[in-house]
Amino acid sequence: MRSDEHRTTVVAVDDVSKSYDLGGQRVDALRSVSFDIEDGVFMALAGPSGSGKSTLLNLIGCIDTPSSGRVLLNGEDVAGMSSDALAALRARMIGFIFQTFNLFPVLSAAENVEYPLHHFPGLTRRERSARVHHYLDVVGLTEFARHRPNQLSGGQRQRVAIARALVARPRLVLADEPTANLDHRTGQNILRLMRRINRRTGVTFIISTHDPKVIDMADRRIDMEDGSILRLGVREGREWKYAFDRRNEREALADRG
Amino acid sequence: MLKLAWRNLFRHSLRTAITLAAIASGVVGLILSGGFIHDILTQLGEAVIHSQTGHLQLTKSGYERSGARRPEEFRIHAPQAIEKRIADVPGVVDVSARVTFSGLLNNGKADLPVIAEGIDPAAEARLGTYLMMDSGRHLVAGDRERAVLGSGVASSLQVAPGDTVTLMANTDAGALDVLDLEIVGIFRTYSKDYDARAIRIPLDSAAKILGSGDASVIVVSLARTDDTGAVAAALRKEFSESGLEVSTWQQLNDFYAKTVLLYERQFGVLRAVILLMVFLSVVNSVNMSLFERVAEFGTMRALGDKSSFVARLILTESALLGGIGAAMGVMGGVLLGLLVSSIGIPMPPPPNSDIGYTAHIELDVVTLLAASAIGFVASACAGIPAALRLSKIPVAEALRHAI
Repeated sequence: MRSDEHRTTVVAVDDVSKSYDLGGQRVDALRSVSFDIEDGVFMALAGPSGSGKSTLLNLIGCIDTPSSGRVLLNGEDVAGMSSDALAALRARMIGFIFQTFNLFPVLSAAENVEYPLHHFPGLTRRERSARVHHYLDVVGLTEFARHRPNQLSGGQRQRVAIARALVARPRLVLADEPTANLDHRTGQNILRLMRRINRRTGVTFIISTHDPKVIDMADRRIDMEDGSILRLGVREGREWKYAFDRRNEREALADRG
Repeated sequence: MLKLAWRNLFRHSLRTAITLAAIASGVVGLILSGGFIHDILTQLGEAVIHSQTGHLQLTKSGYERSGARRPEEFRIHAPQAIEKRIADVPGVVDVSARVTFSGLLNNGKADLPVIAEGIDPAAEARLGTYLMMDSGRHLVAGDRERAVLGSGVASSLQVAPGDTVTLMANTDAGALDVLDLEIVGIFRTYSKDYDARAIRIPLDSAAKILGSGDASVIVVSLARTDDTGAVAAALRKEFSESGLEVSTWQQLNDFYAKTVLLYERQFGVLRAVILLMVFLSVVNSVNMSLFERVAEFGTMRALGDKSSFVARLILTESALLGGIGAAMGVMGGVLLGLLVSSIGIPMPPPPNSDIGYTAHIELDVVTLLAASAIGFVASACAGIPAALRLSKIPVAEALRHAI
């Protein structure tokens, strides 16, 4: 593993706020959030529901835009890009894994994995099928290539989704609660698989979760609360070293008060 | 994308089947009603051609306007030579002369004013398949001093085949002449007015009473009704300098053109109604199945598809649906049309007539194409509102829709 000093920043979130109207009331989903994510990390984005972690993930994934502040992918500011340009950016840079798997029910496992490759018309048929085969092999589903999603178990579906997220060789994979719809053991296996891929290929994973298993495997963690970062941790061995921890501030305030 | 659209179409096969049935039945309805109307108009056209006017008529110029009042002034002299020239024109199968004059018919007790037509029995037998005999028989070649009467004439004078009547008319020279005629038959056409006034006698009997072999009109029959325009043009050229006028059966039967126009208006309204019905039913079912797939469209766009791609997919699906539905409708329409035609539709008598007839479904290419185009266009357009709306939902919001 490369040392931290040489890592480049893949995602920079700079003073980002997001608010929206909900039944006439203004809801601040994110308040002035800033942090960087280095290339190749396996990061957990933790927090209770409503803490803003899904919003943050959507902003990083360029499927939502901030009310203020900047999101930089690979140093490129995505604000002001057209929706078509963002779509093209997502196609080559970002893989998505969803809580509900979101496979296309009418396509087989192999066809689901192949789907994002239609944005790469330069690939030959042979290169395509080699890639699909490779990633199905990575997730251990070679023999299920012809199965439709409804013929697969939840864990198998999520594996297909992982292969689909990787097939275009993105820099960044965003997973929104990938284990929430899986039982404990299957979830564990899925996480191990993602972790292994992260270690082998160096692709950055950002996983929003409130599953402690994810945090156990992560080497970065961001804990969210009420639209703000509660703390930002870097793993050192078995311990977390917090670069920033608002809990201490609060305790200090409480002590003083 | 075509593969994806095709498969998406059949993920709920029952729902798709119902939508297809809606499109197809609209197309079938258009084909059957269009074919039916087409058949009615064709039969009506053939009826007037074969019972009365023939395909084309040649008359002296001006006969149409004032010939009925002074028929003797608009006679064609030596019609045989003209008939010969007409017979040489391609497409013409039969030429015969008619001479029309007014007279009084007497049964020994009362007089009835009639329009008498002197005809060539052999030629009229070939043309006049729509002249139906109530009783007795048609005039045949070789009949002399015999007559067939319209049913209205016969009932007014209370005569039947076998009776003798006396026809009184002016000769061309102005004198009054009478001729005893033996009734051989009573006929009926689609026109009650005609039946109430008309009697038919052999041409040579007419020549005898009028004192000349002149004709009022020369009636031309064609092999194909569709050739009417072309042959009319050829005849106009041929007889441009002889003071003769060529009229087509459409010109001679003004009511026919008006009937066609009326039916076409009605059919146009029917088309619009069916277009709207197909459109609404496809809009409904397309919307239903598409809104279940909002998250899927969100996923597609998260994976890098542009919103225009999503819109294109939706439009492709509804166009495919329209294409399949229209094809099924055409097949169903043709099969049903053939079936109905083989049985026949008994029709009540048309206005001004006593005789009903059997209608069929006449399938022609234009009707089939128009019907399938309506089915296709209606359902292809039905995808547009959904395509516009769904492709504009923000991705993050679309993904929140549960699958």
